[in-house]
Amino acid sequence: MKLLFPIARKFLAVVIMAVSFTALALSLTSNVFAAESHAEPAAQATSAAVDHGASATHDEVPVSAVKQFAYSYLVAFMFFLSLVLGSLFLVIIHHLFDSNWSVPIRRFLEHIACLSFPWMAILFVPIAVLAKTIYPWMSLDPAEDHALHAKAALFNMPAFYVVSSVLFLLWGWLSHGLRRESLAQDKTGAASHTKAMRRYAAGGIFIFAFSMTLAAIYWVKALEHQWFSTMYGVYYFAGSVWTTLATAYVITYWLKQTGPLRDVARERQFHDIGVLLLAFTVFYAYIHFSQYFLIWNAAVPEETFWYVKREKGSWWGIGLVIVFGHFLVPFLSLLRIDAKKNISLMAPIAIWAWLMHYCDMQFNIMPVIHPNGVAIGIFDVLCFAGIGWLLFTLFKNSFAAHPPYPQKDPRWAETLGVYVPATGAHAASHGGGK
Amino acid sequence: MNSTAQPYAIMAEFDTPADAMHAAEQIRDAGFRRWDVHTPYPVHGMDAAMGLKNSKVGYFTFLGGLIGYTSGMLMIWFMNMYDYAIVVGGKPLFNPLFSFPVSYECTILLASFASLGGMLFLNGLPKHYHPLLKNPRFKAGASHDKFLIAIECADPRYSPTETRKLLEAAGSKHIEMVED
Repeated sequence: MKLLFPIARKFLAVVIMAVSFTALALSLTSNVFAAESHAEPAAQATSAAVDHGASATHDEVPVSAVKQFAYSYLVAFMFFLSLVLGSLFLVIIHHLFDSNWSVPIRRFLEHIACLSFPWMAILFVPIAVLAKTIYPWMSLDPAEDHALHAKAALFNMPAFYVVSSVLFLLWGWLSHGLRRESLAQDKTGAASHTKAMRRYAAGGIFIFAFSMTLAAIYWVKALEHQWFSTMYGVYYFAGSVWTTLATAYVITYWLKQTGPLRDVARERQFHDIGVLLLAFTVFYAYIHFSQYFLIWNAAVPEETFWYVKREKGSWWGIGLVIVFGHFLVPFLSLLRIDAKKNISLMAPIAIWAWLMHYCDMQFNIMPVIHPNGVAIGIFDVLCFAGIGWLLFTLFKNSFAAHPPYPQKDPRWAETLGVYVPATGAHAASHGGGK
Repeated sequence: MNSTAQPYAIMAEFDTPADAMHAAEQIRDAGFRRWDVHTPYPVHGMDAAMGLKNSKVGYFTFLGGLIGYTSGMLMIWFMNMYDYAIVVGGKPLFNPLFSFPVSYECTILLASFASLGGMLFLNGLPKHYHPLLKNPRFKAGASHDKFLIAIECADPRYSPTETRKLLEAAGSKHIEMVED
């Protein structure tokens, strides 16, 4: 077993690099193909958009219950995937920046990240089964649809299922690897575990970037396969980490009040999560503005149709809610340093963040079947509550099964600002350092 | 040259940041207002020990940013609508969308100017003269290895005997008067 490990690790590294570079190459080549062919999809897209616009004022095409369920489920799934991947990201950057402030909150983030496999993979099954109902491109013939033909390297049935499975495996490998080392360190306290987690994080950040981009493209952006946006992956990422930070704030507060983190979650943890939340408020606005601005400025029909569709009916209002509610309100509320430490302000902001991110997911997914405007139904509520309740229960169980925070992390003294006198030979070289 | 020099402050020297911090807590609790701690490097927790509130520079920053954003928008609006109205790419003469990046840069520019200016203003800088700077012990210690606390004689709580006692009780090994 011991002998096998380094080989397996090297093999995995090679596989991951190969997958990443293939993905990169594919996305590049599909862009090149797409650039060659501009006239046809443009004409199709505009005529489709115009047709839709004309008919939208009349009756909406009735949506079957199965289709409505599939879309509602996708919205809820993508919402909670945001929290899972956002937590994975926070664990990764904790190790990458070698930060000490986030040691107390790392364990529960590890648990949320570990929900990615197998649970998010299991929750993906309905989407995999109903894929043909959800994604229009799956019923189209690439020979007749130029946009699909140009993107056929990614948009074909085997690729969809293989890539989707690989994504969950990668997230599972990363999140469970990080948690396994972290839990092992609880027993031994050895610094080697920190180094191992650092290695996972260093490679993991690349895997994370590619995999999250692919997830956003395959599962959401592909709803309108004609569309182009090179920043769609980072757009989903920005909203995800934003929502995760707001959630992490409330979880930290809750765990401090109820006991598990009473002694270790201090002002500094709340301050730093608040600072990151403000940063991601701005980052999300920056990304979403850039996406809109570039499309508005270029005014190319293959791109504009996506926003034209989302300016119809009450989607226009949701768009404005995202501009002001996702950015301006949290931005102004979070500016002051004392606001970030004030739970009576931060708790409403966290609830607000969930609402805004849900609006964002609806805004991205639902106009495909509800071009006339927002239509929240029983399926939306049930899917959201169902997935949310399941994941919350699983999280609670895994939190209860393990120590609430990393017990023997070498960073603890630094985290709590405790001075530890240097001893022995080590002191001679480092004693005068500070 | 200055034979009728007035006392400016009473200055106490401490050897460790911990001593200076505990002394600062006592001075804070005694209700002094016009005093300061001088250390060779930033000491964490000193703000709280001195009873200092959050800096007011943020207000200057916010105001500068607001002025920057508004003036950026107004500048582009005036130039594109009136000063040199020309249609580019079939776009409207003015729209907040294309004006946003430049206005945003103006926001950052004026916000940083206001932060710098506000910081200098709140600190009363530039200052050409400060009595402490001609004190040899201050010059030798404050930027090297000593932690100094100076309480101004102009403080309403100041008393030549009581304040000296307070600083002695706080553990200072060297106390002297600084002349104006």
